[in-house]
Amino acid sequence: MNRRTPLLMVVLGLLLIVLALLLPRESHAAIPVAGPGDVLLDEAPRPSNAYCLLCHAQAGQTWKLPSGETVSLTIDASVLAKSVHGDTSSKGPLTCADCHGNFRYPHPVQTAQSLRQFTLTRYASCRNCHEDQYTRSQDSVHGAALRAGRPEAAVCVDCHGGHDIQPPDRPRERISLTCGRCHGAIFDQYRNSVHGKALFTENNPDVPTCIDCHGVHNIQNPTTAAFRVRSPEVCSKCHSDGALMAKYKLNTHIQESYLTDFHGSTVALFEQQDPKIPTNKAVCFDCHGVHNIQPVNNGNTSPIRENLLTTCRQCHPDAKANFPDAWIGHYPATPESHPVLYAVNGFYSLAIPGSIGLVVIVAGADFFRRLRQRFSRRRQTGA
Amino acid sequence: MAQDVQRTHYRRFSPAQRFEHFVLIIAFIGLAITGLPQLFAGEAWAQSLILALGRIESVRILHRFMALLLIVEVLYHVLSLAYKLLVLRQSASMLPRRRDGRDLLDWLRYTVGRLPERPRMAHYNFLQKIDYWLTVLSILVLLVTGLLLWNPIAVTGVLPGGAIPVAQAIHKNQALLLVLLVVWHTYNAFLKQFNVSIFTGNLARRIMLEEHAEELETLESGEQTPGASGEQVASRARRFWPVAIVVTVLVAAGLIRYLTYQQTAITTVPRQNVAIFAPDVQPAAGDAAIGGALWSTLRCPICHGPQATGGPEGAPALKGSSGSVGKTLTFEKFYAQVRNGSDKMPAFRPEELPDGYMAHLWAWLSSKSTS
Repeated sequence: MNRRTPLLMVVLGLLLIVLALLLPRESHAAIPVAGPGDVLLDEAPRPSNAYCLLCHAQAGQTWKLPSGETVSLTIDASVLAKSVHGDTSSKGPLTCADCHGNFRYPHPVQTAQSLRQFTLTRYASCRNCHEDQYTRSQDSVHGAALRAGRPEAAVCVDCHGGHDIQPPDRPRERISLTCGRCHGAIFDQYRNSVHGKALFTENNPDVPTCIDCHGVHNIQNPTTAAFRVRSPEVCSKCHSDGALMAKYKLNTHIQESYLTDFHGSTVALFEQQDPKIPTNKAVCFDCHGVHNIQPVNNGNTSPIRENLLTTCRQCHPDAKANFPDAWIGHYPATPESHPVLYAVNGFYSLAIPGSIGLVVIVAGADFFRRLRQRFSRRRQTGA
Repeated sequence: MAQDVQRTHYRRFSPAQRFEHFVLIIAFIGLAITGLPQLFAGEAWAQSLILALGRIESVRILHRFMALLLIVEVLYHVLSLAYKLLVLRQSASMLPRRRDGRDLLDWLRYTVGRLPERPRMAHYNFLQKIDYWLTVLSILVLLVTGLLLWNPIAVTGVLPGGAIPVAQAIHKNQALLLVLLVVWHTYNAFLKQFNVSIFTGNLARRIMLEEHAEELETLESGEQTPGASGEQVASRARRFWPVAIVVTVLVAAGLIRYLTYQQTAITTVPRQNVAIFAPDVQPAAGDAAIGGALWSTLRCPICHGPQATGGPEGAPALKGSSGSVGKTLTFEKFYAQVRNGSDKMPAFRPEELPDGYMAHLWAWLSSKSTS
C-alpha cells in the first residue's frame, strides 16, 4: 500500500492536469452567447440590406416595448455606411445580418421587457468579430457589475454606439466624453483638472484621457488596494518621461523622489510583495487629487504647497505648522533649499569613503608588517 | 618574574562585561538586518530579507524593538560605569591619554618598519579606545536621530520641519559608518589575532604581549594596586543606589512617555466620495470647449455641418451670423428638439447624449466664434 501510494498520486495528478487542460475550453464554449436569433443558426442565405431596408428605411417605424419605451426602427443607411463598419471597413461593409443574425421577416417574437434588456441580449454579437475585446470587457469592472446585477453597466454598444460606430479615439476628446456619459460626476471633476482643461481647450495630445490611467476594455476596479499601490506607476508613465516632461517644463524627479521617501518606498514594497493588502501610505492621488488634479504652480503661487498642511492632516490630524517641511519635496536638496541637509549629505559623502580608505590602508599596512615579521623570523630560525 | 611557570591566559573581562557585549551583538545584528534593508529597499537582497522578516511593517517594528534593547544596554552601561568610577573608584582606563597619541605614532612607525618593537601598551590600547569612542559616538548619534524619527509629528511641533530629513540623512549615513566600524572591529578581533577574550573572559598571553605589554608586565610582577576598603565602598554604595534608582525610573518613565507619545497617522486614507454611475450630473455652467468637442463626436455635424453653420440638405444653421441659437431658439426648445426629434431629425436618447452634456453643447452653440 505504502509503496503504491506515490504511483497512485502521480497518476491522479496527471489525470487532474489533463482535466485542467480540457476544462477552460469546455467552460468557454459553455458561456451562453446567443440571444434570440443571434448567430446564424441555419444554413439559409442571409437577407440582403436592401431586403431589410424595404421596411426600415421608411420613416415612422417604431417599436413600443412593454416598459413603455418607444424605439425608432427607421434606419438611415448612410449612417451605417459612414461608420467604421461601412464603406471604409477593411473587411468590406457589414450587412445588417452580420450583427442581427437571422432576423428574417416575420421577426421572431421579442421577449425583452425594456430597451436595456434587449441591448443586453444582443451585444454579444460583437464577439463574432471582436472576441479579444469582448472577453477583456467581460473581465472588467463593467463585466463584473453586470454579473452582479447592475444592468446599467456598460456593454460594447454603450461606448461604441450601434449603427454609427466611429473610431473611438478620434478626436481624442471622444474618449473622455464617452466615459463621461455615465460617469458624469467624475467627468465634471476631470474637465476642470489640469489634464482635462488641456485636453478640451488646447487639444493637447499628451495629457491622459480616462483610458490612459484606467485602461480600455479590461478596466479594473480603481478602488482596490492593488490599484492603489500600482497607481504611482500609472502617473510615472508620463511624469518620469524626460522628453515629455521637458516639453512642458515639468519636474522629472517625481518618481525618484517619491520612491526614496518613506511613503513611496513603503508603497513600492507593498506593490512588489503584497499588492492585495491595503496600506495607508500616501500615493500620488492622495496629495494631488484623483480626477480633479490641479497644476502645482499657478503663475507665481503654488496652491498645493500652500495647502500642504491641510493635505498632510488628512492622514496626520495632529500635524503642526512645521510638519510639511519634514518632507523635502519632489526636487533634490540643493544648498539653497536645504542647506543643512545638503551639508550633512556632503559630509558623509566624504566621511564614508574616507573611512573605508583609512580602514583598508591601516589594515593593509598591519597585514604586510606581520607578513614581513613572520618572514624574517623564519629566516632567523632557519639560519 | 614572580612565578616560574608563566600563565598562558589572563583574565580580562568579567561575566557582566561579556554579557553586555553579547547583548550589544544581538542589538547590533538586529538593528542591522532590520535597518539595512530599509535603507536599500530597492535591492533584491533587501526585499528578500524584508519578506523573510515578515514584511516591511514588521521590519519597522522589529527595528524599534531592537533600538529599545540598545537603549536599555546603553543605560545599563552608563550605570555600571558610574558604579565603577564613583563607588569602586576604579581608574577611568578607557579615557584617551597623551600616551595614546604617542602609542599611535610608535605603532605607525613600527608598521612601516621604522621601529623594531610594538609600543608597550596598557589595559586599553589606543586602537581599542578609538573603537570604543567611535562606537559610543555612533550609537549616540543613531539613538538621538532615531528617536527624532520615532515621533516625526511630535518633533516638528517643537523643531523646524527640516530637522526630520536631516535626522534621516544622519541616521542612514551614520548607520553605514557604524557597520564599517564593526567590520573593522571584527577584523581586529578575529582576523588580525584570534582574540575571543570577550567571549571566554581570558586573553592569551601571546596577544597580551603584543597589545598590552605594559599591563602584562604589571600583572606578572605581582604588584597589586591598593583597593579601597570594604567599608568605604559600602558607604559610597549606600549613597549611589538611591540616586541610580531614581535616575533609572525617571529615564524609563520619560522614555515610555516619549516612545508611546505619537499615534497620529490614521489607519485608512479618506477616499474621495464621488458618485460612480452618475449620468444625470449637471455641470455648474456649460463649457464651450467641451461642447465643441462633443459636437464633432455626435451625429449632429452630418446634417448641421462641422461648425453648425447649416447643411446642404436644409438642416438649419445653429451657430454663426445666420444661426438660430441665441435668436429664435431657446435652450428649452433646443432641448425638446434634441430629445424628441422631428420628422427630419432623429431623437437623441439620454444614453447617447446625457442631460449633463446639453449645457456644454448649448454653451458652444452660443459662443460667437465658429472655430
